[in-house]
Amino acid sequence: MSRIPPVFAFIGLLLIGAVTLRMCPAADPPPLVPTVTRLTKDGDFKQHLQWSPDGKRFLLTRIHDGKMGLWTMNADGSDLKPLVTPPPHTPHFDGHWSMDSKKIVYVHDILQGTDGKLQINSVNADGSDSKVLIPHKAFEESPRWSPDGKRLAWVSTRDGNQEIYTADIGGKDIKRLTSEIALDNNPNWSPDGKRLAFASARAGNFEIFVMDADGGNVRRLTNHRALDYWPVWSPDGKRIAFTSNRDGNYDIYIMNADGSGLRNLTRHAGQDNYATWSPDGKRIAFISNRDGGHDVYVIGMK
Amino acid sequence: MLMLGSMRARTCQGLTRRALLQIGASSVLGLSLADLLRLRAAGPSTSGSARSVLLLWLWGGPAHLDTWDPKPAAPLEFRGPFSPIATSVTGVRIGELFPQLAKQAQRFALVRSLHTGSSDHGVAGTIGLTGSSAGAKGLDGKPQAGSARPALGSVVAKACGTVSKLPPFLVIGGRLHQGKKAIIGEGGGPFGAHYDPFRLEYDPVKGTRIPALQLPPDLTPERLGDRQRLLQAFDGAARQTQQLHANGALDDYRRQAFAMLTSPAASKLFDLGRESASLKDRYGRTRFGQSCLLARRLVEHGVPFVQVNWSDHVEAEEDSGDGGWDHHYRNFQIMQDRHAPWLDRGLSALLDDLHERGLLERTLVVVMGEFGRSPKINDKAGRDHWEHCYSALLAGGGVHGGRVIGSSDARGGHPHDRAVTPADIGATVQHAVGINSEQAATLGLTGPGKVIDELF
Repeated sequence: MSRIPPVFAFIGLLLIGAVTLRMCPAADPPPLVPTVTRLTKDGDFKQHLQWSPDGKRFLLTRIHDGKMGLWTMNADGSDLKPLVTPPPHTPHFDGHWSMDSKKIVYVHDILQGTDGKLQINSVNADGSDSKVLIPHKAFEESPRWSPDGKRLAWVSTRDGNQEIYTADIGGKDIKRLTSEIALDNNPNWSPDGKRLAFASARAGNFEIFVMDADGGNVRRLTNHRALDYWPVWSPDGKRIAFTSNRDGNYDIYIMNADGSGLRNLTRHAGQDNYATWSPDGKRIAFISNRDGGHDVYVIGMK
Repeated sequence: MLMLGSMRARTCQGLTRRALLQIGASSVLGLSLADLLRLRAAGPSTSGSARSVLLLWLWGGPAHLDTWDPKPAAPLEFRGPFSPIATSVTGVRIGELFPQLAKQAQRFALVRSLHTGSSDHGVAGTIGLTGSSAGAKGLDGKPQAGSARPALGSVVAKACGTVSKLPPFLVIGGRLHQGKKAIIGEGGGPFGAHYDPFRLEYDPVKGTRIPALQLPPDLTPERLGDRQRLLQAFDGAARQTQQLHANGALDDYRRQAFAMLTSPAASKLFDLGRESASLKDRYGRTRFGQSCLLARRLVEHGVPFVQVNWSDHVEAEEDSGDGGWDHHYRNFQIMQDRHAPWLDRGLSALLDDLHERGLLERTLVVVMGEFGRSPKINDKAGRDHWEHCYSALLAGGGVHGGRVIGSSDARGGHPHDRAVTPADIGATVQHAVGINSEQAATLGLTGPGKVIDELF
């Protein structure tokens, strides 16, 4: 019986070791994969998702049967129904809840001829009593209640470019917060009402910025050649979620409120967009076309 | 006489004797039978490899700076907020909102030096579809000099003829209009109503519709065994089509409609439920995406010319979100939210699908609108009409992918070199399907357009 040469024996041991290592990986636990839950399955185009401050319902823009309008549904995806009654004949979109979840502000498009005219309306959360809050002067959009309910931030082109303004809830005491040659939009109040996050193209492409509620102390949080927009502050004010295509398609990203600690939350080949935090900050809901149509999903936060 | 399923007349490879006799008798263009025999004697064309043309008409006019011709070095008030991204072709960059298309730039060519003769949707639309402003009507309602020329689809339909049991020129989408005024140039013009497009509409929820045959709700195709009721129902719909009456083409049109509606093969062809869910997802569950999928099925079936109208409205909001590309306001918001992702998904899936089925080489895909949009951003966060410079995308049908034809100046305001017109695009399409200059002249199709040779 011949002996195995030492060289072959050594190689054999190496192979056995490699196979063993492959079969028995190190004891480190696998990375936690956040659970994603799909809430709707109709596939209609959706955008501008907003979780109500009481956590019970969602508000969203939906194109259904050829009409763009605001819809609400329960936080579990049930009871999807049009918001405004009677439903307007013209497009209405991009709504936002008041902190007591009893009122909603939104963009109302009053078509004149073939041209759209955007104004800001308010409506009760049950869809009643829709009325003009900020009349059309130029193109008024992206209305957002302040946390104390006393002011409204929105975007207007009234000074010849897209800028961010605030007004009291009667539409008076208008203050212009930005003054840039580039576009400024997507305002979002910090939970304490002292700052606003927003998207601006002042650096060339859309980046996320924050500023004080009076427009001062502007700071840039992101710095990437890709598109960063739709910033939304976490309920505790410590983090900001936003949409970016920096990894090749739209995903939801999270960063600390100072711009540090950036990470891709959704990391999916589908288009993930329009993040909104649950009131307890433990979940983020968003719109995605990962299953073909555009539906609402919820992801748990670590 | 009703002639169900008997519409074969001509092919791109030649003319049948029966078709010649029919055309000789009808003499639509005043051509003699001898002219047409001479045409046939010219033999099959060798100038192009396309057997079908698929025109994706981006009505309203997409912004060239935000799609195929980004200008990152331009001042902020021109370049806009979007960055260019690299593509699969070294040195070719397109707007960042089109990542899927960027991965297959080797399959398409870009023309970045188009310009047209009007900033009015109506006039520029007619120029884009026919190559000429003749007969066009703008917002003022005054007709331009001359009679409207046939639409590009009608030209290809007439030259290539019917090769399946479907009409040779199909439009998916509503009739193009500006405000409430229909655009001149979507039809056969001097060729007559025989060469008007046959129109389909696709709704992601309701499926394929044939607008000319909207029957009473209780009268489904399955119940159309009663020929008399069928005739009555269709006659009611057709009575509304005054132009058909005027041209005396109602019988042919009706015959086509009956053939389409009653043919089981056509019914299957229009049923996107026969496609896999995953493929429908790839195209995007939007009206445009699913219309592109339907267009692929029609091309696969041999229809020579299919036009997909992104929208029949020019404005984006008028049609509640999926209207046209006329983004005078909210251009960037609409682009990043809806139009660009929908176009990126639908068009990239279409090119992929055609390629995978071996259809791309024989299908010329043309993607364009009637003009571009102003390089300088206006005071409404939008871009206005811009006829001086814009872009088009072409793929398949013998077009060499990865090429960029022409260029624009530093701000995308005017062609820098190799200026091209819609008439040139028309001549290029004719070339691609094999209509040579002699055939074009015989058919009365001579025009100012010149083939963009660099594409082939």
